[in-house]
Amino acid sequence: MSLKNQILHNAVLDDNELWVEMKAGDEKAFSTLFKKYYSYLIQYGNTFSPFSEKIQDCVQDVFTDIWVYRNSVSDTVVVKAYLLSCVRKRIVRLQQRDKVFNKTKSVDAIDFLFDFSIEQQLISDELTAGKVAHLNKVLNVLPARQKEALYLRYHHGLNVDQVAEILNVNYQSANNLLHRALVNIRKEWKGNMALLLMLLANWI
Amino acid sequence: MKERNQYREIEDFLADESFRLWMRSKEDSNCWEEWTLEHPKRAKLVEEARLWLLAMKVPEHDLSQEQVDAALQSTWMKIEKIEQESKMEQKLIQLWKTTWFRKIAAILVFGLLSFYVYDNYFVSKNNNSYYEQIVANTDDNGLLEQINNSNKPQIVTLSDGSSVLLQPKSKLSYPKVFMGNERNVYLSGEAFFEISKNPKKPFFVHANEIVTKVIGTSFRIKAYANQSDVEVLVRTGKVKVKSEKAIRNSSQEEIVLLPNQALRFVRKNQTFNKITDITLDKSLSSSIRSIEQLSFEFTDIPVAQIFKTIEQAYSVEIDFPKQVLEKCHLTTSLSDQPLPEKLKIICKSIGNNSSYTMNGNQITILSKGCN
Repeated sequence: MSLKNQILHNAVLDDNELWVEMKAGDEKAFSTLFKKYYSYLIQYGNTFSPFSEKIQDCVQDVFTDIWVYRNSVSDTVVVKAYLLSCVRKRIVRLQQRDKVFNKTKSVDAIDFLFDFSIEQQLISDELTAGKVAHLNKVLNVLPARQKEALYLRYHHGLNVDQVAEILNVNYQSANNLLHRALVNIRKEWKGNMALLLMLLANWI
Repeated sequence: MKERNQYREIEDFLADESFRLWMRSKEDSNCWEEWTLEHPKRAKLVEEARLWLLAMKVPEHDLSQEQVDAALQSTWMKIEKIEQESKMEQKLIQLWKTTWFRKIAAILVFGLLSFYVYDNYFVSKNNNSYYEQIVANTDDNGLLEQINNSNKPQIVTLSDGSSVLLQPKSKLSYPKVFMGNERNVYLSGEAFFEISKNPKKPFFVHANEIVTKVIGTSFRIKAYANQSDVEVLVRTGKVKVKSEKAIRNSSQEEIVLLPNQALRFVRKNQTFNKITDITLDKSLSSSIRSIEQLSFEFTDIPVAQIFKTIEQAYSVEIDFPKQVLEKCHLTTSLSDQPLPEKLKIICKSIGNNSSYTMNGNQITILSKGCN
């Protein structure tokens, strides 16, 4: 096992240890978990709603519930995925209840309002810039659910199982979502790439 | 996880955290660069995966340490609030689980329930509305109503010259003029009656469930809507008391009362208690009003003194020419007379065309001195 994997493994181990301690009533473990994941969860929550104060409330309520009901939460959870899933459920519930806050209609789908951006400072040449800009555009017009699946899988590094749980679908559906997203992008992108390259060649 | 040598698709690379780390922060702890350069085919895949990652930036909006700390603090406050609430709940549940508490609660509930039932089915049936019912049922239209909301007795003079001293929180309904061969008035509360004698026109007082029939006499009736008993106390003359029901059923149950006798009607079981010696009955003797204690037998008494007695008895004010009547003394018996009759007799005794006028509680004597 490589060094990096070792570190990652340790991080997961730490989470589980903290979780068990928290369940036993250790306030310090709870605070540590909170500090570790709070801003992370806020960021995820903000992808659903422009009302950041309500999102802060939601995330704090998630932590509140975890502490208050610590005796009844499972002790074998992947902490990060569990927290993300709790935050998402909480926001869904809030949006169902709150008429003002609520702009969506269907029960299960809250809109993933987030747009991927571009790593400008890692791009040095025009050609790459053009390609990345185009790819970014294609990514951002994907259906919200596909986009969210990509976000959870490749930004938060969750596995397909965890993505499925958070999106409240089974493994196969989550896998399909991810796969469809990638196929869509590739189709769009490859189709236009030739054209793009020609344009760029002319321009150069 | 697949070995990276088997990576064939872009998603393989995207899912690899150490690859992402290398692409984004140039941290190459897994020697990706070296590995990529080993195969030109790999290089093509890696380059494409790089483009994907560059296009999938998620801006890091890390919150400041202070923001996170503040959020943690407010979360602990939320927790505290909930824990306190649930503690209160548990205490209540525990309290409920203790048997004595449940017993007390059961007794309370039972008590309230029986009080409610009692109040509704046994008391209210013969309560307040009696006066209103009777008044509403009479044929005498155009009844006048006198309500005493003050804290002093009020004098009511009826068209036949009878006077009624109405006590506070009491009301009396009576016709402006007595028509036919009966005189009917309706009382709720307490009043002292002095009835002018007229054997052809018997006088009836309807008070709660009982009717008092008189010809000419003085007596007191206490019949408050919210009290359980109705009392009739006779000072002079003779009265007959019946219950309203008995009159409707034309049954003969009637009780005759003579002076200083009293009667108590117990509303709960609709029975009469005759009290032959009122001094032995505590509640009756303690509630005797000044009018019943004062003597109206005067022997060579100054007129001013007589007027003072009347003022006391009837809660009225008498305005008389003091200097003119200073030396007038009277000997008279006014006991069995209503107030207008008393005043009339006094004026006659003074002579010299003396007269009186009465306006509510205000009485004015006009006189040019005695004979």
